[in-house]
Amino acid sequence: MKDADTPVPEQRELTEAAQQARAALASVDAVPGAPKPDPILVAHGIRRSFGGIVAVDVDRFEVQRGSITALIGPNGAGKTTFFNLLTGFDKPSTGAWSFDGTPMDGVPPHRTAARGMVRTFQLTKSLTKLPVIENMKLGATGQRGEKWWNGLFPWRWTAQEAEIEARADELLRRFKLDHMRDEYAGALSGGQRKLLEMARALMTDPTLVMLDEPMAGVNPALKQSLNQHVRGLRDLGMTVLFVEHDMDMVHDISDWVIVMAEGRVIAEGTPDDISTNTAVIDAYLGTHQGRSLLEDEL
Amino acid sequence: MDIGAVLENAILQFIGLNACYYAIAAIGLNVQFGYTGLLNFGQAGFMAAGAYGVGMTVSIMSISVWWGIGLGLLYSVALGLLMGAPTLRLRADYLAIVTIASAEIVRLVVRSVKFKGQFGGTDGLRNFAQAFQQVGIDLGLQPAQDYGWWIFTFSGRNLWNLIVGWSLVAIFGVIVWRLMKSPWGRVLKAIREDEDAVRSLGKSVFSYKMQALVFGGVIGAFAGMMLALGNASVQPDNFSRDLTFFVLTGLVLGGVAKVTGSIVGPMLFWGFYSFLDGLLRELVDKPVRIGDFTLLQSTDIGVVVFMIMGILLVLLMVYRPQGLFGNRKEMAFEGR
Amino acid sequence: MTQPVVGTSNHPTCGRRIVIVAFGLFLGLFGALGALLTPPGMASAEGESIQVQVKDQRRTASGRADNQPVAGVSVTVVDASGVEIASVVTDENGVALVAVPAKADYVVKIDVDTLPDGLALSADTPAEQTVTQDSFVTSKRIVNFFTGESQSEELSDAERISQRFADGIRLGLIIAMCSVGLSLIFGTTGLTNFAHGEMVTFGAMIAYFLNDRGIHILLAAPIAIAAGGLFGYSLDRFGFARFRARGIGLISQMVITLGMSIALKNLFLWRFGGRDKPYLDYTNQVGSKIGPITITQRDLIVTILAAVVLVSVALTLQYTRLGKATRAVSDNIDLASSTGIDSAKVIRLIWIVGGALAAMGGVFRGLDEQVSWDMGTSLLFLMFAGITLGGLGSAYGALVGGFVVGLLVETSTLVGVPTELKAAPALVILILILLVRPQGILGRAQRVG
Repeated sequence: MKDADTPVPEQRELTEAAQQARAALASVDAVPGAPKPDPILVAHGIRRSFGGIVAVDVDRFEVQRGSITALIGPNGAGKTTFFNLLTGFDKPSTGAWSFDGTPMDGVPPHRTAARGMVRTFQLTKSLTKLPVIENMKLGATGQRGEKWWNGLFPWRWTAQEAEIEARADELLRRFKLDHMRDEYAGALSGGQRKLLEMARALMTDPTLVMLDEPMAGVNPALKQSLNQHVRGLRDLGMTVLFVEHDMDMVHDISDWVIVMAEGRVIAEGTPDDISTNTAVIDAYLGTHQGRSLLEDEL
Repeated sequence: MDIGAVLENAILQFIGLNACYYAIAAIGLNVQFGYTGLLNFGQAGFMAAGAYGVGMTVSIMSISVWWGIGLGLLYSVALGLLMGAPTLRLRADYLAIVTIASAEIVRLVVRSVKFKGQFGGTDGLRNFAQAFQQVGIDLGLQPAQDYGWWIFTFSGRNLWNLIVGWSLVAIFGVIVWRLMKSPWGRVLKAIREDEDAVRSLGKSVFSYKMQALVFGGVIGAFAGMMLALGNASVQPDNFSRDLTFFVLTGLVLGGVAKVTGSIVGPMLFWGFYSFLDGLLRELVDKPVRIGDFTLLQSTDIGVVVFMIMGILLVLLMVYRPQGLFGNRKEMAFEGR
Repeated sequence: MTQPVVGTSNHPTCGRRIVIVAFGLFLGLFGALGALLTPPGMASAEGESIQVQVKDQRRTASGRADNQPVAGVSVTVVDASGVEIASVVTDENGVALVAVPAKADYVVKIDVDTLPDGLALSADTPAEQTVTQDSFVTSKRIVNFFTGESQSEELSDAERISQRFADGIRLGLIIAMCSVGLSLIFGTTGLTNFAHGEMVTFGAMIAYFLNDRGIHILLAAPIAIAAGGLFGYSLDRFGFARFRARGIGLISQMVITLGMSIALKNLFLWRFGGRDKPYLDYTNQVGSKIGPITITQRDLIVTILAAVVLVSVALTLQYTRLGKATRAVSDNIDLASSTGIDSAKVIRLIWIVGGALAAMGGVFRGLDEQVSWDMGTSLLFLMFAGITLGGLGSAYGALVGGFVVGLLVETSTLVGVPTELKAAPALVILILILLVRPQGILGRAQRVG
């Protein structure tokens, strides 16, 4: 694993996983709904409307396995709603989607997570009244001690609990939260809570990590390390799909970018494709300004 | 005025049978309300389930009273599932509405003429506790003989009730304390704060809430059984909304999400209630009048004390929501 | 004694003191109310006694039992060995008090021949009732005898059905009226107010107290409704507005409303007494036949008035600026605030109007049945069922849902639900709605995330 402590040079060497992901995506057409060579997540015809207003209307959506895919779009584009739909927190009016080949429509959120598709939230949901370490341990799946009939008999779960705690401690160290281990999560800063939420999500051993605005409210110093953590996930073989407004981050770490506006996917491509895509610039600025979007830092 | 007698009685009530079953019920309510954030405003319904479970055995079904424990458990589990199934996927208010209404319907049904044959109507049920009392006698506690020292003297019958009751308090206290230290308890506390976070981590929130509701209800049923066996009778109007309110106020007084709070709170509540009641009765030996307006007479006192308890609950929630033993940092209710 | 004026004291700071002052004022208000409404002193007997009560449960024109006392009935108490303790006759309250030597087993017999003409013991009341030693909970053991019509004039099915519907419509209108405030307060602040039932009782009580002082109900009713509005105003201004400002969570506030409900209920019981009492005007009206139903003029007018009020509420919500603002705040408070609506003002207004409507519902209910200390509490479940059915937080939902629940509850007796369990169908509706369509008939599914 990469040592998170070393400062990252501006132009990094791409890791093997990153090279693979980019190579696989190189042959993909930069058109909305483009099929991917090895998709882990495939969605068709997802529509969701609230009282007549169509919030999401996505014809086709695929995420390449092992890649970091960014989902961007202006406010109100339906990104978070789309996340909610994919993870079972909301139900679409129509549509079907599958994860790793298994159909996922109608699957409740907790099953989604148990199958390896874990998400974080735009407004962090770190449990402020639990200590940091307890937050982490909560993330582990398949805990025997979480069955009520086992709760009373510590010998049935203490061994597992110790394993979980060791794993949690290691993750905390990786995310540089180990010094806060026994504090209530409420004592953490906004950025630290983001880190905690991501670390906690990793406790579920996911194959697809879905991050909803991981950079929102995070101070610049922490952003670099967050970026590294996200890249680290790809190196560990996970797929990352994230919603973000921070264009630096998008450009910096993503292998593929999907753009939504008014509920639809309006463009797809590599970060470089997207930064020059006129449809995207129109969507963001309303008119064609003829400038490169991503240089502009929206 | 005999303040000594009032105090003496209050102290006895503090450790008496009522305080004891309030404490058991509050331990159960604490699992639901304190740890999981479930608004069960119908703990009286669960207590009725337990009480009628033991009450029906001898007089209605002609079976041993010990079967009543199973019957009470069965009733309370069924009641919990009935309350939880429609509400636990929805926002917290619905559970509050359904529990408060269900408890009231339970009371109306058991007191109804229609089901008098099953539940004894307004008279309730009696003559079922002999086998229970007999165990005390077999252990050498003579029902009519006094035991103890100083003001703490109890008849053998009362002492037996108290021994069993407080043992139950201790047992459930330890069980809940242990469970809340387990990963199961961790999930409940997490749900209290943010169910979506728990959901996103792959845990079925509905199922855990149901477990907490039923588990707390089962403990409530034991409180009802203790009430029934201790008083050797069950009456439908024991299980009014006021009972839920007593248990809830006791719990809030002690401090939610603390096992000690859920035990000591109801004891203090009932001790204080008895003290106030006794004090007022001593003070108001003749009607208090202002001019020809009767402000207070002895028949009003029960009602007035009740009213003061209602105000106490309001003041507690406003000024000290963490109660006496609660931890402000971990204060339970502000999650959702 | 404090002046019975709910002051608008202008202390800008120190919420704590104001809450306490408000409580004080509030208690003072009731002290004064009670001063004018002194219940007749009860004869409290020393030692053990058996209190025999004979109550008539004949159904009135609208089909309710109103427990009128039956006087002049002779009652005999004998002890376990058959020795007569005493033989007494019930007084004008239908009560006969028999002092007994000790808590022991007795038999209480009623002499059926002394019942007034046309009355007989109801089917489930035996002429002899046994009192056991351990049924003396306090020193006084109460024994009830209920009477009913000796030979009831049989109503045809069509008459029975339409009668129940007429009653159901009236109950439905009253529930709808009471629920508007409950639902809108929920819609705007998210608070489920368990003390809302007491707001209903409050209105009925104020009207009763004025009426009892000789003020005609036609004058007393509007004053009570205004008092209800003032009550709602004070609850928000000195209570919930401050709780919101202090950041007290909704769940805590809900527990607070439960405490308030208990405190108020017992305040009513203390000052009003436990017995149901009718308003002095328009009692004992003879029902007249309109088509297949028998209805008193009073009940007819209550029905029409309630309908008119509800239609006006709906029209106000639909067409006036205030009504639109109310709906907007109730729909989405942040959005409404961002469009320049003063949501705090709207919430205050909802408390006032909701309080007034609840008080009006209380007065109507008091006219319809009688005034009792827990009348609002017993309506509260029906209101909850109604607003859940209609859609929690929706104004029209409260109107429609409340109406439907009232109608269903009254007509449920037609399909064999015993009168004493009339409230049970409301719970069944509640649970079914939550299972099938939790957002209610008129509510919208909430957006998640």
